[in-house]
Amino acid sequence: MIDPHTADSNSGGVFDTPTAGAFTPGALLSIRGVSKHFGGSVALKDVDLDIMPGEIHGLLGANGSGKSTIIKILAGFHEPDAGDFWIHGQQVNTPFGAGGLRHKGVGFVHQDLGQVPNASVLEHMVLDAQTENRGLTRINWRLERDRVQGLLDRYELDISLDAPIDALYPVQRALVAIVRAISSQEEYVQAGNAGATLLILDEPTVFLPKHEVDQLFVMMRRLKDQGSSVLFVSHDIDEVLTITDRVSVLRDGKNAGSRVTNDSTREQIVEMILGGRFEHISRTFTATDESAQLVLSTSGLKGHRAVDVSFDVRKGEVVGLTGLAGSGFEEITDLIYGSRKLEGGSILVYGADVRKPAPDSMMNRGVVLIPADRKGQGGALSLTVLENMALPSLSTQSKGWRIKWRQLRQRMASVCRELRVVPDNVDALFGNLSGGNQQKALMGKWLDQEPQLMLLNEPTQGVDIGARMDIFRLIRSAVDEKGMGVVCATSDYEQLVEIADRVLILSQGRIRGEIVGQEITKDALAAAIYAEEAA
Amino acid sequence: MTNNKANTTEAGLQKPKRKGLDLERFALIGVWIVLIIFFGILLPDTFLTSANISNMLGSQAVLLILALGLLIPMRAGVYDLSVASTMNFSAVIVAIGNVQWGLSIWVAVLVAVFAASLVGVVNGFIVVKFGIDPFIVTLGIGTVVVGLTYWISNARTTVGVDRSLSDFVLAKPFLAIPVDVYYALALCFVVWYIFQYTAFGQRLLFVGQNPEVARLNGVPVGRTRWTSLIASAFVAGIAGAVFVGTTGSADPTAGQAFLLPAFAAVFLGSTVLSIGRFNAWGTVIAVYFLATGITGLQLLGLQQFVQQLFYGGALVIAVVLSKIVRSRSERQAGAG
Repeated sequence: MIDPHTADSNSGGVFDTPTAGAFTPGALLSIRGVSKHFGGSVALKDVDLDIMPGEIHGLLGANGSGKSTIIKILAGFHEPDAGDFWIHGQQVNTPFGAGGLRHKGVGFVHQDLGQVPNASVLEHMVLDAQTENRGLTRINWRLERDRVQGLLDRYELDISLDAPIDALYPVQRALVAIVRAISSQEEYVQAGNAGATLLILDEPTVFLPKHEVDQLFVMMRRLKDQGSSVLFVSHDIDEVLTITDRVSVLRDGKNAGSRVTNDSTREQIVEMILGGRFEHISRTFTATDESAQLVLSTSGLKGHRAVDVSFDVRKGEVVGLTGLAGSGFEEITDLIYGSRKLEGGSILVYGADVRKPAPDSMMNRGVVLIPADRKGQGGALSLTVLENMALPSLSTQSKGWRIKWRQLRQRMASVCRELRVVPDNVDALFGNLSGGNQQKALMGKWLDQEPQLMLLNEPTQGVDIGARMDIFRLIRSAVDEKGMGVVCATSDYEQLVEIADRVLILSQGRIRGEIVGQEITKDALAAAIYAEEAA
Repeated sequence: MTNNKANTTEAGLQKPKRKGLDLERFALIGVWIVLIIFFGILLPDTFLTSANISNMLGSQAVLLILALGLLIPMRAGVYDLSVASTMNFSAVIVAIGNVQWGLSIWVAVLVAVFAASLVGVVNGFIVVKFGIDPFIVTLGIGTVVVGLTYWISNARTTVGVDRSLSDFVLAKPFLAIPVDVYYALALCFVVWYIFQYTAFGQRLLFVGQNPEVARLNGVPVGRTRWTSLIASAFVAGIAGAVFVGTTGSADPTAGQAFLLPAFAAVFLGSTVLSIGRFNAWGTVIAVYFLATGITGLQLLGLQQFVQQLFYGGALVIAVVLSKIVRSRSERQAGAG
């Protein structure tokens, strides 16, 4: 069913890109020409977006397309470099200040929901109401209890006011977060401000089990029926096709177009997300030697999201793992390395059973991990490059009473030179290196240990093109020359095309597909990932 | 590839800018020298006399030993608030063991150091096994240790400790400086060496800077923290024995006064030589910088309260300074 508002303004299938420079009459929120740079990289370039009253509007885009940047601008986390904003037909000047557009009736539910596990539902709801009251104003608990209960009843939510957040189902937590945002919006409306409100949901379904998502959709339809608008940010095309009236797509920080959902096919939307860039990166494949020794063999891995993951890695093989966020692919490397608690399953390294995987014992078996969170887990930012690179050799083999700093310095300096780490100075602070150079240094420190198996988690996140190529070259040469096995978990399809011999696609904690050799292309990966999700 | 090449040349020009930091590294030493000259001019007859210098150096030896012990867990990011009470505990055991239980003084010292180390074992056990913040654990255990100290001593000062301990600690000043100062400096050398040249020292550093990085690189984080707490308790035990040696007696209430100065010295020390890191020689400089200021002001006729003003102020200023230095280096990191 097409919402009347949307149908009026768009008789054609493809919604025209909003007229540049002026706001669209009748739009609840109009954004024109928003740009944002972070350092040298462009996050948003000249983006326009219109949200009409009473519509559910989907916002889609691949990783790094600028979806979250635009939300963060509206929420006041980032200040745009350029751009004009109209809400309820009135222009709003930037910067919006700390609260973003909240004071204009825009509510936000972020992916992490912003909740405290052991505080109750009621306490969360009262927190917002109290931010207006200063200091030691007495909280009238009975009144608040009635107000919040009324709110929950109105949306037919059967949630106890006194339940702590961690006792709720994931979808109930999301619903509480939504009601919390709505409750602040109601205050805005009660304060005499006319007009519909806008609720922005930033990837609320990522951490929800499939069967709970419907409850969220019921809530969204209810809001729409009240005349409110919802901006639904997601990377799940099927969810967007199910629930939205219109959909806008961002690609590389630019508008890739807006469409009326009912007149769109999933193929058209996939094409908008990925663009026409289906070019292949030339690469020679050497068929994996089936007789090669098994470096790693896992069966039934179970973790936070992974349910049952079994796969093998042979000597000289690069196995890619991918899927949607929340599908479990992102935790597999940590489960194997023991940096995240393994709930079940078994891991064999060179045929030997690893009972309780832990980083130190894994290192002794020749397994190393390059974590995704480089700044938090990769290296200590306030220590030098040399100290960071020397750590693995000091933690496993604490030989003798004296660290031979001179030898270490020479060795690490030559590793850095080989990997083209800049600045060419091992005494520089690790934190002063760019992302790409930090990653090269970490890669170098581990390759220096000549590992048997390298676990990579988003290895080129935030890494520039040049460094990225250096990193692939390094991995490839260690694989081809030394027979190192690699597991590479990433949501970057291009990366898998470039380095993987075999890609496993995860969905809801299980392996649901495999693409081998020449078959690994960006569109094949995208098709497999989204197809699995639809099934 | 062209992109990469451009990067390389650009970075070649980008020399590390450390000039500013180099001067800052020695700032405290500079202020110390100014302070000495200042008091030297104001108090020509009392301040720069060998008796006063010898007294200033000697009176700080126990504090210096205690601060060096505290440095080890602090390097690993572990606050040990029980060091001062552990030191006092050890001092009382030395005295009671020797005077009441009739142990030879050296056996009493061994027993005391062993008992003190047990405090570290308990601290570490609770911190590591239950994953509790060391700050609160050592605060609680430290208080328990104060209770034990009062209990075994009946809250009375024990006098009449075997002279041979005092002889060992104080006798025959070398170059007019009491011998215990040399012991403290030897310990400083040992701590410096451990921090600089042993794998254990490097692990302490990483556990303190980023435990997650340490863990992923195979460092046994819990065990390292535990060991650091045992080390500080062990050194506090030695400090207790030296304390008895300098006074010839053990007062069960005297130790607590050492806690804040030790923390002040450790934090102030982290603003010298290698900025932002708890370091051994920096701690020595900090201890004597503080002693110089306090002695000078007291010789000028100011009262006892100067001590508290100086130590408390120094602790706060040191923490603020290290925060400023850290946020600035983070800003540089962000820009780079």
